[in-house]
Amino acid sequence: MIQSAVKTPSLTTPASTTPSFNRDLFRQASVLIGCVALFAIFSILTSSFYQPSNLIDIMLQSSINAVIAVGMTLVIITRGIDLSVGSIVGLSSMVASDLMSHNIALGIVAGLLVGMICGLVNGLLIAKLKLPDFIVTLGTLSVFRGLALIYTNGQPIYGLPDGFRAAFGGQLLGVPTPVIMAIVVAGLAFFLVRFTALGEQIVALGGNEEAARLSGINIDRVKIVVYTLSGLLSSLAGFVLIARIGAAEPIGGNGFELQAIGAAVIGGASLFGGVGNPLGSLIGALTLGGLQNGLTLMNVPSFWQYVASGVVVILAVYADRLARPRR
Amino acid sequence: MGAVALSEGTSSSLRPPMLAMRGVSKTFGRARVLNDVDLTLQSGEVHALLGENGAGKSTLMKVLFGIVPPDAGEIEIDALGAVQIESPRHALSLGIGLVSQELSLVPQLDVAQNIFLGQTAGLDIVPRGRHREAAVEILQSLAPHLQVATPVSKLGMADRQLVEISRTLARGGRIIAFDEPTSSLTPQERDGLFQVIRGLRDAGKAIIYISHRMEEIRAIADRFTVMRDGKVVATDAMEKYADTQLNELIAGRELSLAMEGRPAPVEIGEAPLFEIRDLSTTRLRNVALSVRPGEVVGLAGLVGSGRSAIMRAVFGIDERTGGEIRVGGSRVDIREPKDAMRAGIALIPEDRRGHAIVPMMSVEQNFGLANQKRFSRFGVLRGAARRAEARKYASDLQIRPPNIQTPMANLSGGNQQKVVIARWLATGARVLMFDEPTRGVDVGAKAEIYALLRQLAAAGAAVLVISSELPELLLLSHRIGIVNRGRLTQTLENGSHLNEDVLMRHATAGGLS
Repeated sequence: MIQSAVKTPSLTTPASTTPSFNRDLFRQASVLIGCVALFAIFSILTSSFYQPSNLIDIMLQSSINAVIAVGMTLVIITRGIDLSVGSIVGLSSMVASDLMSHNIALGIVAGLLVGMICGLVNGLLIAKLKLPDFIVTLGTLSVFRGLALIYTNGQPIYGLPDGFRAAFGGQLLGVPTPVIMAIVVAGLAFFLVRFTALGEQIVALGGNEEAARLSGINIDRVKIVVYTLSGLLSSLAGFVLIARIGAAEPIGGNGFELQAIGAAVIGGASLFGGVGNPLGSLIGALTLGGLQNGLTLMNVPSFWQYVASGVVVILAVYADRLARPRR
Repeated sequence: MGAVALSEGTSSSLRPPMLAMRGVSKTFGRARVLNDVDLTLQSGEVHALLGENGAGKSTLMKVLFGIVPPDAGEIEIDALGAVQIESPRHALSLGIGLVSQELSLVPQLDVAQNIFLGQTAGLDIVPRGRHREAAVEILQSLAPHLQVATPVSKLGMADRQLVEISRTLARGGRIIAFDEPTSSLTPQERDGLFQVIRGLRDAGKAIIYISHRMEEIRAIADRFTVMRDGKVVATDAMEKYADTQLNELIAGRELSLAMEGRPAPVEIGEAPLFEIRDLSTTRLRNVALSVRPGEVVGLAGLVGSGRSAIMRAVFGIDERTGGEIRVGGSRVDIREPKDAMRAGIALIPEDRRGHAIVPMMSVEQNFGLANQKRFSRFGVLRGAARRAEARKYASDLQIRPPNIQTPMANLSGGNQQKVVIARWLATGARVLMFDEPTRGVDVGAKAEIYALLRQLAAAGAAVLVISSELPELLLLSHRIGIVNRGRLTQTLENGSHLNEDVLMRHATAGGLS
């Protein structure tokens, strides 16, 4: 009833209807253009790059990173970071492949549960104990990796069931299942960010945590949810990794965090919070995958590829820094 | 004394100015914050910089101090040619000092360390002993009661300001700007500060003094410059203008309409809609207050007196150590902002940029932040419903531009404030708490916000308002509570017997700790 009292005489001022320059669209367009440009350059430089079989290979190679990067994107939108994703890949895939020898479904469920629990631990430490995300996930990076090594005393687990390998490393209608998985995961996450209340809370939290809190949003819960999702998606990506190799290693997923952060940032997510698009991160993962593939085809030694990936990630962060309007 | 300063002022106008800012312009996004601004200062003058919130005074000072790079214009010191002031460090080396509302001292370090902070480069060993001696020398004339080895955290606000001034002097500061230096000082401390400023003036420094309080400006300033909407509208000697003339220059219109008068009598309910009993936190002691439906209650007090702390405690931001909160007669348990929201309480916070808006989200999204339950089903947003309601509020509150997809960052302060108010009205809140509702809001929007506040009360809301601008409180409130050192010392009925002086006296009674 108070609201209805707000009736000011409708003294409509002429609207300044200059369409505002769409910064978000520009961001997404430049992500896509960057990816296409990179692919074009490698296609000119090497004859094998643009072959359909190689392009499918790139997608396949990028799919693991893409799935992790989608979770990372959600974390980064909240202005957080998750450095433990690679270790979650290792730990969850060890547990999954061990239990899979009894029952495939049991192994899958257990693996996903381990991923979620790892993420939940990160989220609880960050939200409830108010510890800095960087240090918490740097700590759990070591903890989860240690647990993965302890699990089999450092030994790999061989002999994964064929059904599992077909599901996570096979093809469906000629398309590799990991590629389908990455697209579905990114699509769902896009829907979450754009069309759900939780998604808007994630963006608001990253855009201005205090404003979100004072608007009655349960920010602890939002943080816990994004880190749990990041853990869950890491374990899912781990399945693809072990299905392709046919074995689980305790050091599996080592170094994945930089790849995932890189894909998210190249895909338009801002480490300053409040900005990010899971579909963009999918393209970001493809860009990084294409870069590695192209450099390999050009016979660049793999040691240099580490250097190249790192440089590209830092450049992407710098581009984001430049894109931010300063006051 | 006045005569001496005056004769100095007139003779000095023949000398080249100590500071000349010419044609300074600055645009943030679409807002032209500074538009071709000139400011000239002579040695030995106190120059008042006047204007409403958002007129561009603070931005001009940031340009002068190298915090904000100007888009156009030049700055000249001692007529030695234009200089580009690139950083605060550069400004300090040019002899420019800024004593702002938020002091830039490191509380953990002692007085001498703070005075010489940043003066030792790289790996050089800090010459502690020499610094202490030099600090003693500077403090001798300025603040002989200060010990150089005292940690700044142990000092009160007034002493911290003196340390800040000393730091400027230690760098050879000759042009010193004071931005609202008295907002948290008692009258005694203020008089002490004025002594210091006069001393600096007589020693040939050029002083820029920013304040909203006319009697202070009268007491200290020789000349003035009035800014409005980013432009200079007048600059002249103080004695040529009466207070009312200056106020009209500042507001840009005759003041009788918006800034004078008392709240219109409305039908105020009998039983309180909102009640605080015995409220205590680490900063508040036994605060009791009640607001009836239809009533606007103002809270007056110095910055840091606990005005905002009351609202923060009610809203579940600061932890309560005792007391209770009642809405509509029944007790509500508030531990977090969302509990307060559920109880029908709204807080429109003072720091809009820091605490209320998400700049990159659209007007519609910002509007919806506190209303997500209503505008979603099974967690999925109902965009159409929210858009319709956001549009309705945008037109009712005359939010400009009316396009609700505009990013919040592109709106003016006043329009952002209206969006924040709309957000809370949409929650159906009946207890509305406004902390400095017109800070950083332009003149037009200010009048609209006043009208809105009155309408909301008339429709049966219980309204609580904090303002440092006492005329604003006198204009809006039916009653005014005085907050002093964490206590609500008394509540006064508003009427012709109340004025700014009376309020100030109550608010500073007993001095500050």
